[in-house]
Formats: sequence, structure tokens, C-alpha cells
Amino acid sequence: MNTTPTEAKAPPYNRSRQAREAETLLDRIEDDFPDNPEAMRYFYALFRRVYCQGEPVKHQGTLVGTTCIHAPEELIYAFGATPVRLCNGSYHYDQIGADFMPAKSCPLVKATLGSLHAKAAVPNTAALDLIVNPTTCDQKTKASAMMEAMGYQVHDLELPPAKESEEARLYWQRAVRRLALRLRELTGRKLTRKNLRQAMARTARAQAAFRTLHQLRKTAPALFLGKDAFLVTNAYFFDDLDRWTNAVEKLNTELLQRQQAGFQAAQKRAPRILFTGSPPIFPNLKLPLLIEEAGGVVVADETCSANRMLYDMTAVDEWLLNDMVDGLADRYLKPCTCPIFTRNDDRQRRLLQLAADFNVDGVVYQAFAGCQVYEMEYRSIADILAAQGIPMLYVETDYSPDDMGQLSTRIEAFLESIKTRKRNK
Amino acid sequence: MTSIRDAINGIDLRRFRFWLQLFFFVLLVYGGYLAINLGQYLPTFSCGFNNEGRGGVCYLLPLQHQLAMSWGTLFGWAGLMVLQGFLFFSLWFFVLNKGWCGYVCPLGTIQDWITGLRQRLGVRYSRYTEGQFRRLSLIKYLLLALMFLIPLGIGGALLPHDMGTPFCDICPGRMIIPMFTGDFSQLTIDFSTKTTMVMTALGMLVTGLFLAGAFFKKRFFCFFCPMSALHYLLSKPALLKLKKDGNKCTRCGDCYRVCDMEIREIADDVKEPRIMQDDCILCLKCVAHCPEQGALKAAFAGITVFESTERGFIKRMTKGHIDEHNTH
Repeated sequence: MNTTPTEAKAPPYNRSRQAREAETLLDRIEDDFPDNPEAMRYFYALFRRVYCQGEPVKHQGTLVGTTCIHAPEELIYAFGATPVRLCNGSYHYDQIGADFMPAKSCPLVKATLGSLHAKAAVPNTAALDLIVNPTTCDQKTKASAMMEAMGYQVHDLELPPAKESEEARLYWQRAVRRLALRLRELTGRKLTRKNLRQAMARTARAQAAFRTLHQLRKTAPALFLGKDAFLVTNAYFFDDLDRWTNAVEKLNTELLQRQQAGFQAAQKRAPRILFTGSPPIFPNLKLPLLIEEAGGVVVADETCSANRMLYDMTAVDEWLLNDMVDGLADRYLKPCTCPIFTRNDDRQRRLLQLAADFNVDGVVYQAFAGCQVYEMEYRSIADILAAQGIPMLYVETDYSPDDMGQLSTRIEAFLESIKTRKRNK
Repeated sequence: MTSIRDAINGIDLRRFRFWLQLFFFVLLVYGGYLAINLGQYLPTFSCGFNNEGRGGVCYLLPLQHQLAMSWGTLFGWAGLMVLQGFLFFSLWFFVLNKGWCGYVCPLGTIQDWITGLRQRLGVRYSRYTEGQFRRLSLIKYLLLALMFLIPLGIGGALLPHDMGTPFCDICPGRMIIPMFTGDFSQLTIDFSTKTTMVMTALGMLVTGLFLAGAFFKKRFFCFFCPMSALHYLLSKPALLKLKKDGNKCTRCGDCYRVCDMEIREIADDVKEPRIMQDDCILCLKCVAHCPEQGALKAAFAGITVFESTERGFIKRMTKGHIDEHNTH
């Protein structure tokens, strides 16, 4: 691993561009809003440590990077390794990564490549021993060879392009088993019922905590804001699993108290927004922040940096290794609403159900310029929402701050139109 | 009321089923010793050959006897008797629907015990491929048709009389269930005529397959069970129902994973609210393993008795994590 540039000597983080980018955003998240939950302090501090001061990502054993939600983290934990999600949200790295990808490609992939290429990147994942790269969209698939060229070890986790057929399911189960073999080679450990069961219990506990948080967002008026929810799920990318779960459970307790006290973190009339599309990843929380600065509140999301990553849970019938591993494989394929798959009925149904359950007034659809699959699904999603009378704002954007002014005007207009609709109802 | 509901939805279904199945097993296999007799129209394999212990008789035995009457009798007044039997059978069936398979059937229970044994030994299960599954699923209808046609053929003097009750001859229940009351006499080949020899030899073979199959494949025999086919044909008006709310379904496939009968529709079909398929044994494991609030439910006469809940799911899975820890 001596060849990776990430090993180079770090400049002082607090003076680097990426640290300033993160700091500006954290200041906005913390200071622009009153009523931040007390328990959020943990997350604010965590992000400051990791993004502004360059604290290395906490890990036990081998550090395994993942580039998509499809890499089964339980397997990685079971081998005594620690997963870290490499998907990056920084404009700074987006610019560096532009050297690797065509001009019109996804900023997320560019930023991920950029951060892997950069010297002293944040989050500091210098200790990476393997990158598990699920073959999801074209850009991530092609990124694999580029990461290898940078000197990383990459495992292509082969994801089928369709998920409905039984063939796809079995193909994927085999791919997941192959990953287990690779991890065994890497770590020199064996996968046993005991260590996999323990790993699954840890993840399940985190998911249960997430689900509680998710359900608390049904409360109207909102108990806390979506920007904080995104920060919480973003922390899951790199935080210690148990520490994260403890912090979320604490947050849940506080929110429950708020609920009992009848606390309102947003105005009664504040438009309730469902966020979907390309994932907001710190520090690119541009769009959710603009929504909430303009008086809306993001009450639910359907993105792979939050809900899609944590919501669905694994079921096991027989606690034998084969059933546990296949169960994990199913959980990472079957419920996934990623637009890379052939059909998107599951995504449509999920959005409609979220809109109904969370009493949503409008949907904001973020598509990163160059994220073709989300751009291509725009029409079908717009149609089904229109059929239900749910207004949607489609925003094509990237990591650059240049369009902030234009976006904030559009968002304000969208929220205003929702308010008018609500008044006239 | 809500707390009762929560308690039911949070139930440890595995344990609940184990005890309920044991109860019915004792009732149907040993009930005779306690002078229990539920009649001869039971829609489940309460084997009639278990002379002393049986708490009732599987309807397929009298049905085949009745159908083998000479045509003159069968299509005369005696036909009414057959219809009456069928009516009683249907009434029994309507109460539990296919719950008879998942909770009552002694042969089903034995298979679940064999599965439990396999799990304890740490041996993995096998599954059919999708193609195999589709083809095998049809066998039960074929057996059902033969079960009607052969006795009718005997009645019409088209087939030899010693084919008697053809399905019972090859049913593993006839050999296995009496053994539980110490009667091993069924475990023989009847050499009296050529036909009986072939049929009982076939029965031996099926019993061997049953035991071996059930060890590797969950509910191996149920895929071929003609009773299950007959059930399905009558299942529409039954009181106990399995329902699905497709809008709430995320198609995560958790229900399909745990399904002993490998029924894919339970996960993938989001349009049909009456989701019970012909192979279903109504064990309700799918409901217990569904993490989505109210996506799957069991209703009795329109009243929901058990439904999927997030809390119930998490509780049961957490228990799974812990149980595994304790036993190994």
C-alpha cells in the first residue's frame, strides 16, 4: 500500500480547503437553526473531528472501504474487519476526481475517486486494505480499474442489473459468497456462525435504532429537522457501529421526550418534504439545508445515504451459516430501490407509501448532473406523483456552490406554492 | 386491547407453533386412548390405519372407500352419502383453511421435527430450483386426480378391486403414524396379490423418500400432497385467511426466505390481497418475518388475529441472535 498518495504527509487540516468546506457547512447546520437536539452534539463534534481536524476513521482490524450500500457490512464485521463507506460529498474532491471521469459524470463518483487519489483525504481512510466495489452504475463499475491503478486492492462485487428474477437472486448470492472468500483471504480469519451472528446482531441493533428515528419523523409538526437526520445517517458511513447506535438511541430518547412535551421543531404550517434521488452526502447537504432554511422540513427520504442504506432488515429462518449469508444477500438486493435496476416499480411504490405515511406535502427530487439513472427515472416518478396530486420539484445539480442562489429561489417558490395549496384546501 | 394486540403480534411464533403442533399431534395420534373421536371427515392426515390411537380419521380414507362403490350404488342414493361426507369435510376445512397443514397435520409436524433435528445437527437445507418447483407443484394435482379416478375405476369394474385405497397405499402416513402407537404392522409389503405387492412396495419407497427428503428439504412431502391440492380448490370461502397489503410491501423478500414451501408470490406479488397459494401451509412464518407494519396479516372471519409489525419482527430477530448465542 506504499504507492497510495493518501499515505503522504498531511498538511494541517484546519487550513486545507476540504476542512474549510466542511467547517462552513457544520457552522450553518449548527448555528442557523435554533432547537437543535442536545443529543446531536455528539454528531456535530464527530464531524468536526473527522472532517475538520482529520481524525483517522476509527476501526478495528482491517479497514475495508465500500463504494455502495450493496456491500454487506455484516460480512465485513464478521471477519473482524471494519467497513467504511467511501462515497464522498466534497466539492474539493469532486474537482480532483474530474481528472478521472468525463466532464458530464456524477460528482459523487468523481469525489470518491478524488478523495482516494488526494493526499491526506478526509475522512482519513489511509489504512484502507481493500475496496469492495459493487458493480452498480456504469460509473462506479468503471471506477474499479481506476482505483486499482491508484494502488488500491479492489474487489468487484458483481451485482446483477435486474433483481426480480430468481436467476439474479442466485447470481447475487454467489457473488456475496465470493466476497466472503475474499475477506477470508484478506483477514486470515474464518467465517463462523458465532461471529456472523454477532455481526448481524450489531447491525440489526443499529437498524432498529434507525427505524425508531425514522418513525419519530412521522410526528407532525416535526420533532427535529432533516438536516440533522442526514447528518446522523452520514455518520454511519465511518463511525464506530456501536458508538453510533448508542448515540442514535440517545437521540431517540430525547425526541421521544420532545414528543411527549409537544415540542415543535418546525412551524405547524411548514411544508413536509420527502427527499429522493441522488444522495446528499456530507458536506454536500446543499439541497436539504436550502429546503429547511426556506422554512420547509425534510420529514423522510428515499436515498442511499440514509433510508435505503439502513431501513431494510435481514430475516433468518435457520441460524446456520448458509441461511444467514443468503439472507444477507437477499437483504442487500431484493428491497433495494436503486435506479440502476431494470425496473423501478419498487421505488415508485416506496415513494408513494412514504408520502402517505409521513403526511408529505411535496417531493424534492435531486439528480446529480451526470447521474443518468436518476435523470432517466425522473419522468416515471413525476407521473406517479402527479397522479396522486403530490407536487414535485426536480433539481438537477452537482457539488458546486455556484447554483445556490438559483436553487434557493426555486425552492422558496416551490415551498410557497405548497403553502398556498395547503391554505386553499 | 392494544396491549393484547401487541403481545399477540410480538409472539414467538416458533415456540407457539411447536406447542400447538404437539397438542394436535397428541390429540390426533393418541386421542383414541382418551376416547376422543372427531369423526371420519378430518381434512388432515389423522391416519385411519392408526386403529387404536387415532382421534379422528383422515377424510381421504373414507372418500376412496366411498368412491369405489359400484357405479349403480354410487350414482344412486349412496351418492348423497358421499356428498354429505364432502360437506362435513368442507366444514371442518373452512375453519382453519390450510392452517390444518401448518398446525394440525401429524405428518407435517413429523416433518418439522425432522427439520429441527437437521438444524440441531447443523446440516444445511436444500431448495428446489424455480423450474423444479413449478413442475413438482403439479404432481399433487395429478395424485388428487388419480385418487378420484382409480376408486371410480374400481367401482366401474375397470380396475382390479385390490387397488382398494390407492393413495393410502402409497401415503407415508399409513406406515409412519401407526408406529407412534407401537404398531409396525403397516411397514410390510403385502404379497397377497400382484397389485397389492406393487402398491405396498411403492408405499415403502415413498416412506423412505419421505424420511430422507424431509431431512434435507423442509416440508418435503407437502409439495406432493393431494390433500393440499384438494384444500386449495376449496379455500376461497374459508374463514382463516392470509392477506397482503401490497402498498406496504417493500418486496424485501424476508417472507419468501423463510417460507418452507418456497412460495415466491408471497414476496413478489403486490397486487393480489388474497395471497395464499396452493402450496401454502398457512404456518404464518411469513407474517412473523415481515418487518412492515400490517403488510401481511392473518384474519379469521374478517377479524385480524395476527399481523406483521416492525416491533414484532425486531423482537423475534433479536431473539434469534440471542438463541443462537446460547445454544452454541
